[in-house]
Amino acid sequence: MIWEFQRAVGMPRVAAIEHPFGRPYGEVDDAATQTAALRAALDVFDKARQPGHVEHLEFVWHEDPRKTRWHPPIPAPIIGYMRERGLI
Amino acid sequence: MTAHQVDAFRFSGRLIKKLVLEEIDAAAPVQSIPWVAPIKPLSQSRVALLTTAGISMQDDAPFDMDGERANPNWGDPSWRKIRADASGNTIAVNHLHIDTGYIERDINVALPLQRLADLADAGVIASSAPNHYSIMGFQGHDSSTLENVSGPEIAEAMRAEAVDLVLLAPV
Repeated sequence: MIWEFQRAVGMPRVAAIEHPFGRPYGEVDDAATQTAALRAALDVFDKARQPGHVEHLEFVWHEDPRKTRWHPPIPAPIIGYMRERGLI
Repeated sequence: MTAHQVDAFRFSGRLIKKLVLEEIDAAAPVQSIPWVAPIKPLSQSRVALLTTAGISMQDDAPFDMDGERANPNWGDPSWRKIRADASGNTIAVNHLHIDTGYIERDINVALPLQRLADLADAGVIASSAPNHYSIMGFQGHDSSTLENVSGPEIAEAMRAEAVDLVLLAPV
């Protein structure tokens, strides 16, 4: 997740993980990583002693990020909206 | 030794990073953070999961994608219950900002229901809640209904099922 949102939202406790959008817990059929990520997130309930705690989990995605596909097949409507208005 | 820090934008590209950081920096500073310390050990706790992936049971109404297509600055603010035994065969996934195919093939990548059940079987947690929850992560410029209506309704539903801990994993 984008843990930097902590500055704007103020979440009680955060487990930050370096996984692509759409697959926060891990890859399809990778039960070991999914379980480990779930356990690590649950462990933050015990580790966090103050509100706003951010735990940076040390998971490494299994493929080169440049090859990782997460985008929708058609860009989201907001993308077209912003392009039409020269916002991006 | 430098402490590890997650690069949240490793997969997103420079444009998303720029837009998100601009939004974060423009937001008002956080005044207070809600906080309740756990009152039970994890092994005695009932856990529920919440996803922003737009997941619904197939016998429930799907999240409204036509509404978002008609108004790109709007996102469906409603919520759905997801039964603890849900799988790719019993859910629908509606989200216009991610490739939903991964979740359709394995719900556990975003809502690890089977993994949570395994942890309950192993005694790591006391139990998985009978129901879990989904919202639509994209809310455009107005998240007030999600915050002021759906959020409290979800909390009440969780209280009714004696949930102790909730994990929200945004997609």
